Amino acid sequence: MSLAANSSQGVNPLYWPVQMRRNIGVRGLFLVILAFIIAYGILFPGLFSVFGFAKFTQSWFPLALVTMAQAILMLAGGISLAIGPLVSLGAVIAATTMTQSLGIAGGTAAVTLAGLVIGAATGLIVVKLRLPSIVVTLAGSFIIAGAALLILPRPGGTMPPWVSNLLAGGTPAAFGLLVLVVLAWKLYLATPLGLSLYAAGENPVGTYRSGASVDTALIAAYAISGLLCTGAGLFVAAQTGSGDPVIGQSFTLNSIAAAVLGGVGFLGGQGTMRGALAGSLLLSLMISVMFFLGFTPVAQYIAQGLIIVGAVALPQIRGMRK
Amino acid sequence: MRKFSSLTSLSALSLGLLVGFGSVPQADAAAKCIDGNRKPPYTLGWANIYSVPTWMKQTQGTIEDEVAKLKKDGLVKKLVVTDAQGDANIQIQQIQSMIDSNVDAILLDSGSSTAPTRVLAEACKKGIAIINFDSLVDTDNVTAKINTDSLEWGAGAANFIVKALGGKGNIIVLNGPAGISVSDDRRKGAVPVLKANPDIKILAETNTPYNVAPAQEAVTSLLFAHPQIDGVLSLGGALSAGAVLAFEKQGRDMVPISGENARQFLELWQKYHLKAWATMQPNWLGALSAYAAVEALQGKDIPAFVKIPLPVIDDSNVASYVARAKDFPADGYVFSPYDQALFDKLLAQK
Repeated sequence: MSLAANSSQGVNPLYWPVQMRRNIGVRGLFLVILAFIIAYGILFPGLFSVFGFAKFTQSWFPLALVTMAQAILMLAGGISLAIGPLVSLGAVIAATTMTQSLGIAGGTAAVTLAGLVIGAATGLIVVKLRLPSIVVTLAGSFIIAGAALLILPRPGGTMPPWVSNLLAGGTPAAFGLLVLVVLAWKLYLATPLGLSLYAAGENPVGTYRSGASVDTALIAAYAISGLLCTGAGLFVAAQTGSGDPVIGQSFTLNSIAAAVLGGVGFLGGQGTMRGALAGSLLLSLMISVMFFLGFTPVAQYIAQGLIIVGAVALPQIRGMRK
Repeated sequence: MRKFSSLTSLSALSLGLLVGFGSVPQADAAAKCIDGNRKPPYTLGWANIYSVPTWMKQTQGTIEDEVAKLKKDGLVKKLVVTDAQGDANIQIQQIQSMIDSNVDAILLDSGSSTAPTRVLAEACKKGIAIINFDSLVDTDNVTAKINTDSLEWGAGAANFIVKALGGKGNIIVLNGPAGISVSDDRRKGAVPVLKANPDIKILAETNTPYNVAPAQEAVTSLLFAHPQIDGVLSLGGALSAGAVLAFEKQGRDMVPISGENARQFLELWQKYHLKAWATMQPNWLGALSAYAAVEALQGKDIPAFVKIPLPVIDDSNVASYVARAKDFPADGYVFSPYDQALFDKLLAQK
């Protein structure tokens, strides 16, 4: 794919043309999102105040993180059904440790470790035992969901108020974090490990033969994915001020929907992270815009389906005309 | 035996009372979150966690009826409805949108007892009346909470089963979803009763959504595993209907069962002359919440916790419920009639 472009030193003359070509599939989606942002801004002018922007991006942020977590695995030729339970686990660990035994630093470390270790373990099983990721993560989802319920059998726990106010207060700190995560992803893609991720997803055998370490790339992808999920859980705990052992449930399906909406394929190696992020942004925007348009819940269900089909079909229809 | 169970019911009652008192802060002059700056007609926001279950549809029906009445009186301008599709995160976002659009009151059936805490604090600060009913939040930053007592619910069901089995036998316990406060509390309410009767043995427990089909499936597999089941401690109406259907399909003899005012369960109860007990989570909690919101916005003091008494449905009155069943959806709940007088009485209690 765009290996030459990304590994260039200075500006490679091919960089921008290649990047633009990678956008082709999701241009329609970008247009739809632009239309939604404009509509949202007209319906609710407060969106463009610092506070309004902060609140909206806070609603979007956890979905953005889990969509990245899902997209990484889908790019690597896998998929995860354990996204939601991992978010719940991250949330309950944060809410039970930060104000108690471990403190904020210890709690953050525990959340980070849980994500990395569970992710890497999942990756190891998938890679070394050659099991389909969908099966491993399905089984994992039950174990992780159970662990979250063991830690916190019912909603409870607390977060330090200042952490809540820092991450999910009146400032767009969450958006800043997201920018940092995206930059880190860009940097990661420039490393050999990141480079082999796309390649391993699209053509594992070819990648192996060309000397790249497919196994390491995949296990690293699972570990990063796990980290993003528990990180999203920590954020949700901060946003809500507490822990809930089933708070993440719907993130599994939503992360897949957002990634697919953003043009990430099920077969590995196809799609872009910007597309996936755009997909998650559209899902999040839809909820608010439909509220301000005054749609009834039934109309919302239908509109949601139509918008998703429309955004996915738009590039196809244009392709057919050519 | 009788002494035992009355003792346990007494202790369960005092436990319920204790919990009731614990969650009632001192009454202030004006209700909480009300700043007196909002004038009628009001815009009400109904933040639903999930609109698809029949119980919710019926509840929304009572809200819409009440709003239609309040509109006629010039007190309400508009009802805004959101559906979080079961996702507590989306519910937060929708409550935020309600704040952004400056609704006057939020009626909340919460998807999580903790998740909306911070967004509700923000709404409360803006003088938006918040009436939380059915599935409650832990925070006190609301105008009022309206609900039955889930602990009492569980204790009542367990007491019935103990009595019906004469204090001895093998039972299965049917719970709602794990990790949800309502299902957790109903189960908790049953604990002291079961503890006091150690001869009641729990063979197995299930966690399913409050729906007939999954409950039926879960009970079917339990029937295969356990040839001797003497009673079913069901902690939800649809769960009871699912259990009875499972017994029916397997050709097993019916056993004592607890439940709720689900139409299907009540009809099966009559059909099989079940030894049964049921209570009710009234759908008109929704209508009462809309009414309470408007009362509070007009500056009337309403209690921070409005406890709705749990009725008992047994052989003496089940027929009166079934007689009205045809007015309710086939998979719905046969709730008791309500009117403004009842609402005023409930809101006047201290």
